[in-house]
Amino acid sequence: MAHSPTVSRVASGWLWRAAYRRAVSAAFRTVPLYRERWALDGRTDPVLVPGRTGVDGGAVPAAEVQRRLGDLVPLAGGSREVDPLRGLGPVVAMDRLVGRGDLVVVLDDERPGELAGMPVGVRGRVCRVDGLGSAADAARWAAVVVGSAEQLGRMPDEPRARLRIVPRLELADLTDADGERGLLHDHQLGFLGALRRCGGWHLDWPRVYARETDAGLAMTLLWQRSPCFVDVLVGGGVKGVVAPCPTHGTPVVRT
Amino acid sequence: MTLSVEVSDPRCDPEPPGWSEFRCRHGLYQPWDYELLRVEAWMSRNPPLLVLARYDGAIRAAMAVMVCGSVRANRYALPPRARGGGRGIRLAQVFQPWLGEAGFVVAAGVDAAEGRRLLRELERGVRRHLGIGLAGVAYRNVPLDLVPLVAGRGRLVREVTAPAAVLTNRWRTDEEWLASLSRNRRKNVRRVDRLVAADDTLVVRADAARSDVDGAVLAAMLREHRRRHGRQPFDPRSPVAGAYLDAVVRRTDVHTLTYHERDGRLVAFCLMLDHPVTPFLQFWATLPRDDGGRPHLYFDSHARAVRQVIRDRRGGLAAGRGMFEQKRSLGFAARPMCVVVAPAPVLGR
Repeated sequence: MAHSPTVSRVASGWLWRAAYRRAVSAAFRTVPLYRERWALDGRTDPVLVPGRTGVDGGAVPAAEVQRRLGDLVPLAGGSREVDPLRGLGPVVAMDRLVGRGDLVVVLDDERPGELAGMPVGVRGRVCRVDGLGSAADAARWAAVVVGSAEQLGRMPDEPRARLRIVPRLELADLTDADGERGLLHDHQLGFLGALRRCGGWHLDWPRVYARETDAGLAMTLLWQRSPCFVDVLVGGGVKGVVAPCPTHGTPVVRT
Repeated sequence: MTLSVEVSDPRCDPEPPGWSEFRCRHGLYQPWDYELLRVEAWMSRNPPLLVLARYDGAIRAAMAVMVCGSVRANRYALPPRARGGGRGIRLAQVFQPWLGEAGFVVAAGVDAAEGRRLLRELERGVRRHLGIGLAGVAYRNVPLDLVPLVAGRGRLVREVTAPAAVLTNRWRTDEEWLASLSRNRRKNVRRVDRLVAADDTLVVRADAARSDVDGAVLAAMLREHRRRHGRQPFDPRSPVAGAYLDAVVRRTDVHTLTYHERDGRLVAFCLMLDHPVTPFLQFWATLPRDDGGRPHLYFDSHARAVRQVIRDRRGGLAAGRGMFEQKRSLGFAARPMCVVVAPAPVLGR
């Protein structure tokens, strides 16, 4: 029996919410920072300790996350390395931003090298702004360049004409977006979503959850164990709403 | 007189009436404070319970019981009264995990026979609370003079290999203390004094109620320090939490000694729990030598503690277990301790 779009939207929303509750529960059981905050101060949505609701619904400021990275490692152990390029593969696959044979080039002056986790048939590379020309030549069909506004501004004119430019924006800068495409990024959590043709900033919802709190939007990586990011106030706390996209039905953020 | 036993879970139960007064009157160290027990309980794999025996409402005996269940080592305990939280085989360990001391106390003025009866009553209370899955009660770190209170037929008694280090203050000045040490150790203490005084890169600060230190930083250093020295076998404790140390160092009755680099990086720290008779050196941690740690700071911290005890005319200084040979060279004596295990069939008997 075929399901109506409404039924599948409700079901995916329910699954999204269930994945978030599972991530919160696992963080409370195993990760020192969240145990400390939610057991002693409390949280909402869900409340874990009856009577304790905490501050800002239990969301954690990004500065505290940065300061206490060691306490984001579960008791069982794990990595404390932050990967600012996490999640790039799924977000560039949204709306077929890239296709087979394409090359995705991320501008980063500190960590040049190959990129893993890209969609099938797509290669990825991290390179410096001044090494962009040779990287673009290696693409079979097209090269998509991802970078911050500052990095894109430093790009030389010559390769710019034959490249597809996709700006990388922080949550606080979403209102400044003026192009058709863009990627939502945070330096701790990595790539969180993308601007699609419908004009909405879509979350990478199978992997990322967003929640509205008094201090701003709190982001959760649903499947990353270590370092564990749950309800992090990215960008220092940016007010916004999470709503279903009228076109696609999946969650979009508006700030 | 009516005897009653009450079991409090610090995570969800309010502080039992009269507990603060009992703690102060009997000189129990700061980790017995109910608020610290609450933080410790939430941040534990095996949370403690506070079990009290009262005669007509007055507390006559107390136990801190760590409930060790089949919870996996990589998880905190389930919340109190959670579904599935009361199943499985459990062992009740009676001790103070962050002191290496006995976990029971009998009120002053109670004789040995009555003390024994009260402790048996507490065991029954623990058994009633934990139910059929309780395999037994293990009393850890029991000083020899208290062993008769908990030993008995069908109970296993074994001496623990690492004794506690206790220093008795017999000196009026620190020069007298230095004169009592071996020639080598005396020279070494003086050399350490000179090294620390001459080290321009080091900022040393000791004070109570420290608001300038971050418990999370202390906890991270302590965890790393302990990891380097290897985990003890059968250690039921969880890693020390930042929130716990945050709460400890803010107290007015806890002295925190810190060694920082000039740029603000923490090199080492030592916590001393103040006490009217015998202050307690609770935690020590340092950076590894190849990352900026100075090997002589361990002796410096202990020498400072001994000098403070002499200056304040306290009765002595307790320094927990471990590194006993080094402590002995500073004048500490060994206090042998035992572990007593009471299997379920003999509980309360």
